[in-house]
Amino acid sequence: MLEIRNLHAVVEGEELEILKGVNLSVNKGEIHAIMGPNGSGKSTLSKVVSGHPEYEVTEGTIMFEGEDITDMDADERAHLGLFLAFQYPVEVPGITNKTLLREAYNTIARANEREELDPLEFEDYLVSKLEIIEMKDEFLNRSINTGFSGGEKKKNEIFQMAVLNPRLSFLDETDSGLDIDALKVVSDGVNKIASPENAIVMITHYQRLLNYIKPDFVHVMMNGKIVKSGDISLAEELEANGYDQMQKELA
Amino acid sequence: MVKMSTVSTKELIHAYVQLSGKLRENFNELRSQAKETLDNCPFPTKKDEEWRFTDLKSITSNKFESVDTSVAQANLELDEFHLPEAMNSRLVFIDGNFSPSHSAIEGMPDGVIVGNISDFAEHEQLLSHLGTITNYEDDVFVPLNDVNFQDGTFIYVPKETVIEQPIHILNVFTHRNNPHFVTPRVLFVGEMFSKATIIEEHIGLSDNVYLNVPVNEFRLYSGAHVHHARIQRDSKNASHISRPVAMLDAHAEYHSYTICLGSKLFRNEPRVIQNAEEVDFTVDGLVLIDGEQIADTHSIMDHRFSHGNSHQLHKVVVNDQAHSIFNGKIFVAKDAQKIDSFQENRNLLISDSGKVNTKPQLEIFADDVRCSHGATIGQLQDEEVFYLQSRGLTEQKSRELLVYAFALESVESMAVKSVEELLLKEVIAYTNRD
Repeated sequence: MLEIRNLHAVVEGEELEILKGVNLSVNKGEIHAIMGPNGSGKSTLSKVVSGHPEYEVTEGTIMFEGEDITDMDADERAHLGLFLAFQYPVEVPGITNKTLLREAYNTIARANEREELDPLEFEDYLVSKLEIIEMKDEFLNRSINTGFSGGEKKKNEIFQMAVLNPRLSFLDETDSGLDIDALKVVSDGVNKIASPENAIVMITHYQRLLNYIKPDFVHVMMNGKIVKSGDISLAEELEANGYDQMQKELA
Repeated sequence: MVKMSTVSTKELIHAYVQLSGKLRENFNELRSQAKETLDNCPFPTKKDEEWRFTDLKSITSNKFESVDTSVAQANLELDEFHLPEAMNSRLVFIDGNFSPSHSAIEGMPDGVIVGNISDFAEHEQLLSHLGTITNYEDDVFVPLNDVNFQDGTFIYVPKETVIEQPIHILNVFTHRNNPHFVTPRVLFVGEMFSKATIIEEHIGLSDNVYLNVPVNEFRLYSGAHVHHARIQRDSKNASHISRPVAMLDAHAEYHSYTICLGSKLFRNEPRVIQNAEEVDFTVDGLVLIDGEQIADTHSIMDHRFSHGNSHQLHKVVVNDQAHSIFNGKIFVAKDAQKIDSFQENRNLLISDSGKVNTKPQLEIFADDVRCSHGATIGQLQDEEVFYLQSRGLTEQKSRELLVYAFALESVESMAVKSVEELLLKEVIAYTNRD
């Protein structure tokens, strides 16, 4: 599904490399976790994969569903079924959740030659997804993330994911800033969305999230590269010994 | 070297020369005073402080004539501009001339007057109010209107009377080959505890050159409440110089919203005068301009007595080479304590060559007041655009949606549903014009 080969990236117009040759394969039905200390490039990886214009790929390729998406615009990647749950969801006053999601859903449907939903059908569809993150109807008519608490913003990302039904989702530090109750709701939501037909890449600093969403693979990212891959026991090892210890071992 | 010549108002307004020998026959005192001012007051230039950012070329490069009133326009089709809420409360003016066949006033409460000024020329309330609060300094535009207006709107609402339906004042400008000037006039008198909603619209049916110089006088006595929406959709080659003034007595409320979409040059000088204690007013604006449009708002919120609340949110979107100017003055007189006044000018630049000048100006002589102001000039945030784009929206659609959201706040405060819908359409048309 996703094949990242030797990916190098810089901030547009700057020279300092942030990604220094990332390799990653994700298949249908898999859940991956990418862990790493602050500044290791793990959030950058999610932004580069989803097409953030702030970054420039200087080397390597990103293949998704058999297509080279390395130079595609973010919206075209979304049409192919890629989704990014933001670490810091953006507040957009004046546009409701419903407006954004209907526009997004129908744009993606058009791009894939699927049928669009009219406002009434879409309303029913939206309401059916609300239970996934335990939110009330009024959530739909609020301006995107405006005045939302930290937890509500993260729930909103997962809600958007449920509605747009992507093939591959990057969850960028979705657990950060969540209290235990909110973390449970968000994780339950992700688990309900996860299926043999889609794939999820979680990016996190802490092992805590992995208690709720069980990954098939765990990768450790340091200094712009994936330095170690394994199963859940790798996360446990990190939790026990910390990133410093692993860095020493690798050196 | 740029040569700055002093243009006399006489030269500029060809028809005024024709008029100079014989003034229109009603309102003699007002007109002769105005004529004297016009004779002595030069046309403004960029050398004048109040006009230094405003390019008046679209006026000074033309000679304007007054409109031939004999051309009948009774067959003009205007149904598309009618508001469903105001089907029986509409006054229509075509190129400045009152059109009884297009107008419809029915079922007004007892004592209410909604009609053409020239039909009420001897009315006591009209005579005692007309021209009493429009004291603009060093000004040729109010006098120009004073000298020239013939038809116009007169609204009188008696004590404790509520007009439920909004009153729609529709000024329509048809295509004419020669540049002409039009001087719409509105006089509104609201007695104690009266209530009314006014929708004042200016619509150019073509893209011809004309000069539109409306003067509005709103006199609100104690406890009177007025909502006043002004929608400017003039021809993209027109110039529009507006002078709307409101004077408020105790407990009066006046809420105005000005929407600027059309005209090549728009200069709006709204003034609200607090004439007694405890008033509440709003002077909001939304400006959506592109091409080479210039939109200039010089407003005054004039607190002369204690306990006044005022609020101004002036939102501007500038595309292409368009130019927005904002100068918002808040005056608080020496003994006018406990004033709460808030002013904000938010500008969104969506092109590289657009221009914005903004200047809040507070002159406060009282010591126990709360006055705040803010001005921002911004562009769309890349992070916002990316967020929407990552959800599948094209970059163009994402930008449109963000501009729409920016403008929306001003539109939602419209008191009349169909006007809100009309403006939403205009905002959408502006944002997806490419």
